[in-house]
Amino acid sequence: MGRLLALGILGTLASASISLAQGSVTGTITTAAKGVAPIRVTIDQKVCGNELPDEAIVVDAQGRLANAVVVLTGVRRAAASDVTVSNDKCRFTPRVQIVAPKTSVKTTSKDPVLHTTNAQLENGRTLFNVALPIPGITITKAIAGTGNVRLSCNTHPWMRGWMVVTDEAAAISGADGRFTIDNVPPGTYELRVWHEALKGAPQKVTISAGKPTDVAITVK
Amino acid sequence: MLAAAIAVAAQPTTIPEMWTAWCARCHAEDGSGKVNEPTVTVEPMDFTDCKVTSPEPDADWERAIAKGGVGVGLSPQMPAFEDSLSGEQIAAFVSHIRSFCQDRRWPSGNTNFPRPILTEKAFPENEFLILPAVAHWDESPAPSITEASLVALYERRIGRRSMIEIEVPLVGTNSLATWTSGLGDVALAFKHAIYDRADTPRIVSLGLETVLPTGDRFEDLGSGTTIFEPYVAAGAMLRDWYLQSQFKVELPADRQRADRAIVYNAYVGRDTSGAPDTWTFGLELNGEVAFPYLGVTTHLVAMTPQVRKGLTGTGALAASAGVMLPLNKRDAQGVRWVGYLLWEYLEPWRARR
Repeated sequence: MGRLLALGILGTLASASISLAQGSVTGTITTAAKGVAPIRVTIDQKVCGNELPDEAIVVDAQGRLANAVVVLTGVRRAAASDVTVSNDKCRFTPRVQIVAPKTSVKTTSKDPVLHTTNAQLENGRTLFNVALPIPGITITKAIAGTGNVRLSCNTHPWMRGWMVVTDEAAAISGADGRFTIDNVPPGTYELRVWHEALKGAPQKVTISAGKPTDVAITVK
Repeated sequence: MLAAAIAVAAQPTTIPEMWTAWCARCHAEDGSGKVNEPTVTVEPMDFTDCKVTSPEPDADWERAIAKGGVGVGLSPQMPAFEDSLSGEQIAAFVSHIRSFCQDRRWPSGNTNFPRPILTEKAFPENEFLILPAVAHWDESPAPSITEASLVALYERRIGRRSMIEIEVPLVGTNSLATWTSGLGDVALAFKHAIYDRADTPRIVSLGLETVLPTGDRFEDLGSGTTIFEPYVAAGAMLRDWYLQSQFKVELPADRQRADRAIVYNAYVGRDTSGAPDTWTFGLELNGEVAFPYLGVTTHLVAMTPQVRKGLTGTGALAASAGVMLPLNKRDAQGVRWVGYLLWEYLEPWRARR
């Protein structure tokens, strides 16, 4: 009886120490791929400008890649459930975001031209396609189903946006290619990477309490 | 701040201005759908072509603007405007779109009501139909009879307001355990809409059907004489209810082979939703007064409850089923199961992406 009680107390202490001492993973995503040439705008130049950067691949001089999403397989985490995508000077901003499944998305426009926010799953199924004819308008729609959502605009074909739908711990790489996922229980995990135009292999990472694990990810 | 003020001031305020600012990017200023630099991959329909834009009711067009292409089974590249425009604005856009067809002589799509099973529709259509029917009656002491028919019906609009129709029936009867089957009496028809009105939807058409003695009368597959059948068909909408009716006179060339008769049909029905694949519930009253060459006049009346359903996102395929229940002379009339499978063959039946 006394031994059982002692084991119980030890077990409680162990689980308490795990919840206190979390680990984290950080890293840099790099690629040999070059950025894409700017888009020459031929419609609505007054609003869109004559040239826009093509954000399909955003990479700096050192090959550090922005807008890549890393996901820690199996680590459940509630992502943002109320997100906004803005149509701003004929670009979707943010270009890429992480959203929880079954969430709602606000789409808004700052531009005095007709935009449409056309949300499709990668299999081509349309979730919604709403017109945003008036600057300042905001429309809220539900993201149903699973899988990543591709945003496009039917009046400005170059416009692209992405919503990576996941209930796992994930992060987006910044302009310096860096990402961080905090508050991960120590252990060994698979780290997946997603990018709208490039591909990278998943890799094993071991996360220990206290000290961040730094990984280098290459995509091509 | 100043730039923002200018941007807001530049916003279109009238429907034609909104058309130019928003819709013309894909649909073109003239509504033709032909633009120099298309930003969509599916070319929009040509609104200047009356043949394309006149046959559907305003409600369908309003739905396409409100819900976008996905709402009417068409291209999802057409966005939904229900969150950014009022119902009045959407209705005004439909009027604007209607103005691209300049010719007012095309009958209004507002009078294009769902087809009843037995009542002739007044609106001219481009449709192909298969109409199965099975009837059974038991007029003792005569042996019971089962009759099955399958009618193929081809309708084609000609000109703005007319339509021709070819009807080919296959008939089978079973009496005393023997089946006879074969081609029935083929019919040719012409119909012309003489009156229509869009705002309070109503339509009147005149038609003439000629039934030819192609069926073998000794096998009971045909009457053995030509029958001329002039008719008037009319339809109206009362709130959400469809009212349709037909009055027809049957004049056989040889009165000893077929009876002179008066046929009347009336239909009332309504949709359960505004979607092209809606359910439509209806009830018909079907009557026939026959004046035999010899003998007494007979009057048969039946009631036909029925349900219709659009089968695709665009509603270009539809099916209907009903049962004709006798209201008098039950033994002589029997019960007849009726229905149709309809294909609007000029309509896209599914969306292009």
